[in-house]
Amino acid sequence: MAKPFPTLAIPLFLLSVVSLLSLRCGAFSADRPTDRRLLVLVDDLAIRSSHSLYFSTLQSRGYDLDFKLADDPSLALSRYGQYLYDGLLLFSPSVQRFGGSLDLAGILDFVDAGHDLILAADSSASDLIREIATECGVDFDEAISFQDPAALVIDHTSYAVSETEGDHTLIASDIFIESTTILGDEKIEAPVLFRGIGHSLNAANSLVLKVLSASPAAYSANPATKLSSPPSLTGSAISLVSIVQARNNARVLITGSLDMFSNRFLKSGVQKAGSSIKNEKSGNQQFLTEISKWVFHERGHLKAINVRHHKVGETNEPSIYRINDDLEYSVEIYEWSGSSWKPYVVDDVQVQFYMMSPYVLKTLSTDKKGLYSTSFKVPDVYGVFQFKVEYERLGYTSLSLSKQIPVRPFRHNEYERFITTAFPYYGASFSTMAAFFIFTVVYLYNK
Amino acid sequence: MAKSSSSDAQALIRSLRSAYAATPTNLKIIDLYVVYAITTAVIQIVYMGIVGSFPFNSFLSGILSCVGTAVLAVCLRIQVNKENKEFKDLSPERAFADFVLCNLVLHLVIMNFLG
Repeated sequence: MAKPFPTLAIPLFLLSVVSLLSLRCGAFSADRPTDRRLLVLVDDLAIRSSHSLYFSTLQSRGYDLDFKLADDPSLALSRYGQYLYDGLLLFSPSVQRFGGSLDLAGILDFVDAGHDLILAADSSASDLIREIATECGVDFDEAISFQDPAALVIDHTSYAVSETEGDHTLIASDIFIESTTILGDEKIEAPVLFRGIGHSLNAANSLVLKVLSASPAAYSANPATKLSSPPSLTGSAISLVSIVQARNNARVLITGSLDMFSNRFLKSGVQKAGSSIKNEKSGNQQFLTEISKWVFHERGHLKAINVRHHKVGETNEPSIYRINDDLEYSVEIYEWSGSSWKPYVVDDVQVQFYMMSPYVLKTLSTDKKGLYSTSFKVPDVYGVFQFKVEYERLGYTSLSLSKQIPVRPFRHNEYERFITTAFPYYGASFSTMAAFFIFTVVYLYNK
Repeated sequence: MAKSSSSDAQALIRSLRSAYAATPTNLKIIDLYVVYAITTAVIQIVYMGIVGSFPFNSFLSGILSCVGTAVLAVCLRIQVNKENKEFKDLSPERAFADFVLCNLVLHLVIMNFLG
């Protein structure tokens, strides 16, 4: 018994070290931007089974999901300064206080560090969840009073026809954002089922977008009580699902319906009121799969590398240019396809030669393999310029490259030797000399 | 009135011409030289007015050569003219030698400044 133990200990130890190392390599890195380890916080673990279809689509794409109760005292997002997870799914709408060391500031730091977040609320949304959403730029509809449950989104013209629900809080919406980056190449044919609270976007925020909006006839109210005054949140201002792409390219998805992710909604058929089309399956699964791909950086993630510039005809990068030089600028842009970097091919990437304002603005031409290049003449102004590429497109990570380069004027021996416009002056000086010579001859030798 | 002023002008011009005809030949040669230099200067100024003053040093050097030699020629004329009481004791050869030396220096400066 005791004898084989020591002989097995060393290979066992080596095996555990190797497996730990490989776990580390599987983590999120700049080279592989897709998240890997996700923390799912739930109010009760029954969500694990009632939403199992959605979770299994995530797991089948290679994510490691870690389910924890929201008030679990052992909750921690980071240990010793390193984050343990690459993404967070908050499926715990009614949590008042997170367990362990997690709090609002911790979650915001997590997003500020570049990690992704999916937040699902519902009518029992607590103040903590509402605050997290507000920090991300999205305002959930305020509860009418703390005694009433929060207002649900009601739509009497595009609700989902069903035998049981009569108060039109189950809505079928198909007003999607127009973007193949966010929602995938295939059009989502069936409407998406939604039941929960609506939110509005902060109009001053330019980073937040509505992915699924409510129809213009929707409004947010408590279905049980009679309305005493017109509802404050109505129509297309209500957003059902929103995304935020932060300036550090962290992506956040916020929605007011946890039921949208449930197996029941994913599997059920849907018929929109007033339309005769009856879809066998709602658009929820396709919609959620595609948008999760976007949120976890499987799509729409760009990287720009190898910024190079040099004089036409040379290959090394000079440290200073002279005015009226011809130079070439090139950059390589790749897009992450979920498993590998593919060349990004568009025709609207522009480079600016910038000093307080762009002196040169040129569209880069691509060789279809990810290399973008152009050449232009340095303007006739000297100073410290920057090569700036500012690329922001809907659904893609924003590229902001800048490389500083000084530009000097001509050295005194770099001007042309004889300036053409000065020829009359040259001529005048020489003619004066000749005239002087002739004058002396004439003056001395006249009678 | 107009007739008398125009006839006065004509009389003035006639008297100027006859007086000038009496000047010695060498002074007339100097005058011609001065007129040539000033004309060249005026042409350069008109050219600069059209084209702009881009190589300003070349412009200045051209103007200076014309105006400088004109000035030196005028000095020579003053010193050589027998009617000037001030320069009675100065020999015309000495005046001419000064003129030549100053012109040499002037043209040296101009060649350097021409760019």
